[in-house]
Amino acid sequence: MLLLRLWNYLRGYVIILVEGYFLERFINICTHRQVFLWDIQRRNDLTMTLKVSIKGFKMLRPISRKSRCRVRIIKKKGLPFFLNRYKRRKAFVFGVILFFVLFNLLASFIWDVEISGNKEIRTADILQKLAVLGVKPGVLKYRINADRVAKTLILQIKELSWVSFEIRGTKAKLSIEERRQPPSLIPKDVPCNIVAERDGIIHSIIVKNGREVVKEGDTIVKGQLLVSGVMENEREPGQKRLVHSIAEIKARTWYEGNGTTNVKAIEAIRTGNVKSVYTLILFNKKIKLPLNKGIDFQNYDKVELKKVLQVGENFILPFWLVIEEYYENKLVEKELSIEEAKIIARDNALKKLMKIIPDDAKIINQIIDYTQSEEGLITANVIIECIEDIGITEEIGGE
Amino acid sequence: MSPDNRKKQKKQGRKKNKVNMDFKEKLAEVLELPKEVVLDVPKITMIGNSSLVVENYKGIVEYGNERIRVNTAKGLVKIQGDCLTIREITSEDIVVMGKIGSLEFME
Repeated sequence: MLLLRLWNYLRGYVIILVEGYFLERFINICTHRQVFLWDIQRRNDLTMTLKVSIKGFKMLRPISRKSRCRVRIIKKKGLPFFLNRYKRRKAFVFGVILFFVLFNLLASFIWDVEISGNKEIRTADILQKLAVLGVKPGVLKYRINADRVAKTLILQIKELSWVSFEIRGTKAKLSIEERRQPPSLIPKDVPCNIVAERDGIIHSIIVKNGREVVKEGDTIVKGQLLVSGVMENEREPGQKRLVHSIAEIKARTWYEGNGTTNVKAIEAIRTGNVKSVYTLILFNKKIKLPLNKGIDFQNYDKVELKKVLQVGENFILPFWLVIEEYYENKLVEKELSIEEAKIIARDNALKKLMKIIPDDAKIINQIIDYTQSEEGLITANVIIECIEDIGITEEIGGE
Repeated sequence: MSPDNRKKQKKQGRKKNKVNMDFKEKLAEVLELPKEVVLDVPKITMIGNSSLVVENYKGIVEYGNERIRVNTAKGLVKIQGDCLTIREITSEDIVVMGKIGSLEFME
């Protein structure tokens, strides 16, 4: 019954009102001519309502004339009428179709390339390599052979140990793992010397293999031989034996650096005025929105926000909105006290030094000198004394 | 032809018809054929007092909310009740819904 109703709905039907003296005759003629009627209800002596399919309704005109009944439509029901209503709204139908076409069209392009896992290799370099392989925003995604891209990439970039490339929605996702370069160790069976990595004074020296050349307290310069792998036979002079030197040599080293500050510092304070510039990026083309006013700030900070139209995580559409916010700054001249300036200068110097000093070095002393020039420039001169491992191996055969 | 004679002939015809009917009925019974097809009589199915199906009918004579009369080979079938509606009607069958009170054959 439900199925029948559904079928009737799909085919479309009309509810009609029949008026006349010979309603039975009307029904009989209908059944005779194979017009299917249902839900016949008598209203009163002269009228009844019934349902008839669209096809059947077209055959009713001669029947009504024959039975001298008047037929009037009360209601049109079903899918054909529903569709007919939308047939007139051409723009609407067109819009619906256009939406699906555009959606599918846009979904078949790559709009974003995401790279994750790189530490040493620059993202721009990988992007360029990918572009050469045909993976860049605006490329049809069906043209990309993900498997081939991954394989080619791992061959082309030597630093990669693992590559995973996949296309998710409109996003091309590349995950990589970099190969960690093994330290250039000299194999144990190859004879070697130990030389100084940098200038310093020997703090302690413990030799496990090899011949000691320097002793504790000696001043050494960079590259100086500390432990020799050439062993001389004491009983038979002239006879030499080469060994792989092993030694633990610690030395005191010094690092010097300086930092400066001006006592009269200029500080930027945000005034609270903000102006935003909206830029629309459609298909990698920049369109500046007309509601921009010129930025007339003398001094400003710029904050850039990038928003993308996306459905879910992976379905990115090629519409970006870039909001550049300009915060106006007021420059305020501020005079620092000498103490404050000293701290800043010292911090600057230390910051520079920390980059140079190796991680395993132990700082034992630091000497800071301050000098002040006539223009109010304060210079902090920092000398840091460390104890660190200074020996590096060097193959004998190389010399 | 005298009226008497005509009457006789009609009677004979009826008799012949009756013999024919008996034969068909027996045949249907023996061969287990559906009787309403072989004998051209209506098949009336009722479900409770709410639904009634008349198959193999000839036409509607009267149709109202309280009374429906259907013409069949076995004469008029009168259905009486309340709120009677014709759910479906085709050339073979008629489905009546409503509160059916009585069903009557009228010769």
